Amino acid sequence: MSQATKASPAQSMYRTPLWASVLKWVALAVVVAAAFVLATRLADQGYTLYIVVLALVVMAVLAVYSTRRAIPAKYLLPGLVLLLGLQVWPIVMTVSTAFTNGQTITKEDTIAAIQTNSVQEVQGSPRYKLSIAVPEGGDVASAPISFLLTAPDGTYEVGDKDGLKDLPAEGVQKTDSGKITAAPGWTVLNARQVNARKDLATFAVPTADGGGIKASGLSEAFEGKATITYDAATDQLRDSATGKVYVVRDARFVPQDGQGQAFPQKWAENVGFKNFQTILTDPTIRSGFLKIFTWNVVFAALSVITTFILGMLLALLFNDERLKGKGYYRALLVLPYAIPGFVTSLLWKNMFNQEFGLINSLTGLNVDWLGDATAAKAAILITNLWLGFPYMFLICTGALQSIPADVREAAKIDGASAGRTLRSIIMPLLLVAVGPLLIASFAFNFNNFGLIFLLTGGGPFESDNTSIGSSDLLITYAFRLAFSGVTPDYGLAAAVSIFIFVIVALMSYAGFRRTKGLEEVN
Amino acid sequence: MHKRAYGALAVSGVAALALSACGGSSPAPSSNAGSAAPTVSDTSSTSTSAPAPAASSTTGAPVRDANVDLVIWTDADRAPTVKKIADAFGAEQGISVSVQVAVDTRQQFKDATKVGKGPDIVVGAHDWLGELVQENTVAPISLSADTAAKFSESSIAAAKFNGQNYGVPYAVENIALMRNTALAPDAPKTMDELVKTGTEIKQKSGGKVTNVLIQQVGKTGNAYYTYPYLSAFGGGIFGTTSDGGYDPDKVLVDSADSIKGADVLAQLGKQGILSTNVGDDNAEGLFDAGKAPYFITGPWATTNAKKANIKYAISDLPTLDGGGQMQPFLGVQLFYVSSKAKNASIAQEFVTNYITKKDVQLELFNALGRPPALTEALDEVSASNQDVKAFFEAGKDSKPMPNIPAMNSVWGPLGQAAADVISGKAAPEARFKAAQAEIVANIKKG
Repeated sequence: MSQATKASPAQSMYRTPLWASVLKWVALAVVVAAAFVLATRLADQGYTLYIVVLALVVMAVLAVYSTRRAIPAKYLLPGLVLLLGLQVWPIVMTVSTAFTNGQTITKEDTIAAIQTNSVQEVQGSPRYKLSIAVPEGGDVASAPISFLLTAPDGTYEVGDKDGLKDLPAEGVQKTDSGKITAAPGWTVLNARQVNARKDLATFAVPTADGGGIKASGLSEAFEGKATITYDAATDQLRDSATGKVYVVRDARFVPQDGQGQAFPQKWAENVGFKNFQTILTDPTIRSGFLKIFTWNVVFAALSVITTFILGMLLALLFNDERLKGKGYYRALLVLPYAIPGFVTSLLWKNMFNQEFGLINSLTGLNVDWLGDATAAKAAILITNLWLGFPYMFLICTGALQSIPADVREAAKIDGASAGRTLRSIIMPLLLVAVGPLLIASFAFNFNNFGLIFLLTGGGPFESDNTSIGSSDLLITYAFRLAFSGVTPDYGLAAAVSIFIFVIVALMSYAGFRRTKGLEEVN
Repeated sequence: MHKRAYGALAVSGVAALALSACGGSSPAPSSNAGSAAPTVSDTSSTSTSAPAPAASSTTGAPVRDANVDLVIWTDADRAPTVKKIADAFGAEQGISVSVQVAVDTRQQFKDATKVGKGPDIVVGAHDWLGELVQENTVAPISLSADTAAKFSESSIAAAKFNGQNYGVPYAVENIALMRNTALAPDAPKTMDELVKTGTEIKQKSGGKVTNVLIQQVGKTGNAYYTYPYLSAFGGGIFGTTSDGGYDPDKVLVDSADSIKGADVLAQLGKQGILSTNVGDDNAEGLFDAGKAPYFITGPWATTNAKKANIKYAISDLPTLDGGGQMQPFLGVQLFYVSSKAKNASIAQEFVTNYITKKDVQLELFNALGRPPALTEALDEVSASNQDVKAFFEAGKDSKPMPNIPAMNSVWGPLGQAAADVISGKAAPEARFKAAQAEIVANIKKG
């Protein structure tokens, strides 16, 4: 609000400086302008729903920041918008995808593509050299187009939407290859002009047998015929070459008689609860689920526990005041955390190689780390321990340093031993601080796709079943399930991820309830 | 570990791996990273390539240049050469051309094309074709019979799907037998001979040579390197339809012929010739360290072998006892035209009348080192380049890798079956029958 407005006494005590007002209004104007630009772009693409959402957000921004009211909302709105955009929106998208077959193309596009793809050169028809022209004096951008053709025998013809006619040879100029460059009464278009004629895509010179002469590029034409036609009344495709009829089933065209190949294209379709039903009834999913789920929980829990214990012990060690050069040691310990996780995973994969790997050759063992179910699980936990302990070390160091010295001192004065102090004083205080982070770490590891994918690929697989690996997590399993078919099934993948979301949410909820209990210790 | 950037890094790492498989040197059987698709090439092949001009340094899809008459997407390896060729074409036609680097070409092309932001032309491997057709992203290309006849038959077959042509080939690639000539001066004709000579070399080396034969297997197996063992006996993965394409309803993995190949894998595994401990991560390293006389690999491995000062020679894959010569899969590199091309006429002109020229194919060869698909160009190259000639010879009777989408369902199960047979975990016949059942079930899922 500007200074000109009459302010109430209470407000005038906190009169906004002029520069701040100006800044605020400029910022608001920028937001509105940006939203406007975005809206026009969205309108171009036809996203009506997004425009409505955008308008609502802008209205909320204006309502909250242009007035002096709604002070709490001024703080909350940015967070709410980000929550909406980064959390709620992906969830909405995932849920809505789970009810579809996961495809994105439309049926109209598919039918058009199938027809276009079925155009074949008519057997025995000539290949013409082609120039595209308009009648002399006509506008190169809009006059009806004609094909100036040179047949293989050297004769000239002109083709338009009515058919082929002879072109008098007199005055015709051509290149060595036979392409006409000039003809009396015609303006030959250059490459750019031809390219600008979008009507060329559907243009064909009709021929007697129902086909058409079509351009292939800028300098060749061929007589082609679409063998597949669509009948909207019966919603069927017919192949005139083979006489086969294709009917719609599961969002694609399949042969009516069940013989031969369906068209590979699938279009988008809502499938209701089918994906969820598949998860609950599919025999491979049901047989593997319990096994994978158990390992998944064990993996996430053990990962958190092992990394936490190692990280905490190191943190306790390096928190000792008597230790010199702590900064250097700490920096070194954070190194595994600083190297990209996928590089580390691949390095470890190499080290776990049974024959050539560092681990077996150093220890003199002959463990088939990545080929044996139990060993593979151990290899994963070891790698994750290496990847994860620096994080635990960092947060524990932070938490330890925030524990007041007087608490320890009090324990010492009361005669508590070092172990007793650790168990009864340090640990509870530490857990209050890092408890929620342990839960976050659990949730992250529960879906630790990258590690499994890079290290074992979910394997080793038990004989005769490559869909369920012994080190699979639900997420890697879902990935394989969704992408092992002929067509990637994003719908099924979305449905599985909803299940995983529910599982993780329930476990995290239980975990947070537990840490609440810890806080009461404080 | 925690929610920090690790997730994102892992994802970009996976993308980087996937792209190196689809990229420069590989015939890109990485159709589907999830189904344990083999990474044929080593990851170093892309990283050693020179950065392309006008390349964006990020891994995001390029933004289509709206003001030019032709937009081409390709990976960083090919971009400089394609740009040179496209510029010459542009000058000839009086138009402007833009060649952009799409790091994960296949995925970025599909995604961008679906929303109308893709290029006019994309350069890629022939086994992408089924998927590109499935997603309505590529347009048919009408090659005249005369033009098609100038290419090797299999390269034209590879560009076809359901009887329609969708691409113009410029290079072919396949695996062959590479040998370290310092250890093994002569090329073995048969697998028995290879095993016998190799074992002698190993025994005489006093521990320096650790493996007789290097071939990528890995714990999850590799279907690409498994196929030649099946094809030697007339087996394979898919039968063919009446128009010559692969038929997803005829899976041949458990055919009697294929199982003969599986028996050989089991035998070689038992003898310690093949091992699941040799995989995409260490195969090249072992050979380049001189630890093995023989290596089944493709032209992508020659670069590092030269760098490691390994004296090598290339020969045909050996014949198997009781069968014929091992036939590798043929990979064909194509120029595709987008179905949503904004400059369709110019794009069609470029691929049908320009890429089919001998000089252009030679230029692509000089930069990329793969045998040209145009017969005339190939003949010229073969006369002077031993490696190219030998690789071409090794694959001259071989069939293109299946380009039908059903191949996505094969990589995982067949690879794993081979690994289990090699490691001795399972009996060949039963294991390949199980793989067959799994593949058929996956294909049925649609």
